[in-house]
Amino acid sequence: MLDRKQKYLQIAFNRTLEEIAAMINSLPLSNRIIIEAGYPLIKTYGIESIRKIRQWWSERVLGYSIESPSMEFKGLSDFLIKSLFKKSTSESIKKEIAFSPYIIADLKCMDRAFAEVEAAASAGASAATCLGLAPLETIDEFIKRCEELGIDSILDMINIEYPFEVLSNLIKPPTIVMLHRGVDEEENRGKEIPYQEIERIKSVYEDVLIAVAGGETINEVITGAFNDADIIVVWRLFNENPEKIVVITNEFLKEIK
Amino acid sequence: MILNRRQKYLQIALNSDLSEAREIITQLPFSERILIEAGTPLIKIYGKRAISEIKSVAAPGTYIVSDTKCADLALRDVRMAAEVGAQAVTCLGVAPVETIDRFIEECQKNGVDSMIDMMNVDDPVSVLKELKNPPDIVVLHRGVDETEFSKEKQIPFYQINQIKNNFDVFVSVAGGDTIDEVQRAILNGADIIVVWKAFYQSTDETAKLAEEFLKEIR
Repeated sequence: MLDRKQKYLQIAFNRTLEEIAAMINSLPLSNRIIIEAGYPLIKTYGIESIRKIRQWWSERVLGYSIESPSMEFKGLSDFLIKSLFKKSTSESIKKEIAFSPYIIADLKCMDRAFAEVEAAASAGASAATCLGLAPLETIDEFIKRCEELGIDSILDMINIEYPFEVLSNLIKPPTIVMLHRGVDEEENRGKEIPYQEIERIKSVYEDVLIAVAGGETINEVITGAFNDADIIVVWRLFNENPEKIVVITNEFLKEIK
Repeated sequence: MILNRRQKYLQIALNSDLSEAREIITQLPFSERILIEAGTPLIKIYGKRAISEIKSVAAPGTYIVSDTKCADLALRDVRMAAEVGAQAVTCLGVAPVETIDRFIEECQKNGVDSMIDMMNVDDPVSVLKELKNPPDIVVLHRGVDETEFSKEKQIPFYQINQIKNNFDVFVSVAGGDTIDEVQRAILNGADIIVVWKAFYQSTDETAKLAEEFLKEIR
């Protein structure tokens, strides 16, 4: 589903659903943007969050106007409300640049792979994540079920020193390998995203795409892209500065070529 | 820890859907030794509503476990579960050590019990030794996928005493659903037995099954 010659910016959303609706509706239209329903979001709202995010991003991308906002939008800041109502560029222009919206369900599957993949796919996810630290049986089942249901499988290598070794134990590699330094790990300055693993993995698993998560500054994003990552995952800047989301997204997209 | 150290408990994990969960809860006998778990599938499907709805149906004062399986962002996970009324929250033993430490600390601050789920951890004692403080409860856990695809995988009952000899913690055992496995876990010193299969769907037998399990867990 993703274009191997393209590099992508994956934005993980973790605020309230109504805030996310506004943020998504103000995103620049780029086929290089991937939207993620974050793990905390899913645990707060359930798979409904995946469905909603898919709906909002599709409406934005395909140019359908957003339905009249309901009561739940009360109490939002002016900016968020305005951006919700803001009529975006004319529909004809949008139709020309329309692309297929790509939504990731950050399930961090650890067990019961079959049922979890099914739940994510039924909510409209284009891809779902499984922990590289899950039992091997779970990872294999996860990748198999993703393939059967026609969605991409992402293996999240959080807290794994040698992702390459995990891959070598699998029946089949996933679509995407995500090198990931956790948010809680960030305070530990000694821990780095293992950029050197990117080439190592790519040299053996030619078809696998690499995502990098946990670097949030523009410099880290440049480093990720420079080291040949295909997808750069960000969340902090976007979720902490919803009013600046357009500027930040454009700036990041420019660096990820 | 909220639980009584001299007591042994049956933890019933609810994993199918919320209407099934409600049915099952209303059939359960009243016992202070029954803990009710909002399983990971329920949380991922319904979000935190899974916990609050289970709480609203269960007898007042029932101990509710939120099987959050925290892997990162510990503060947010713990606060969310505590807010909706859980008495215990789970974190993965394979999570980064920074996450587990924060998780345990945040559980203490929120007055909820911390459970570390040792699924796919070979040596739980070595994980526990890395931590600033031990959790309230350590869960030895054989996953559903592991059980289905690798029938030979056993729950390492010997680890119960290994853990208890080193740390002042409760040990919970999950993944063995037969009466035979429950007996072995208890014999080996487990404090909590987690079951789900017998309680996946509500049947006429639900109450009787709970009584039978409770009888074995003494």
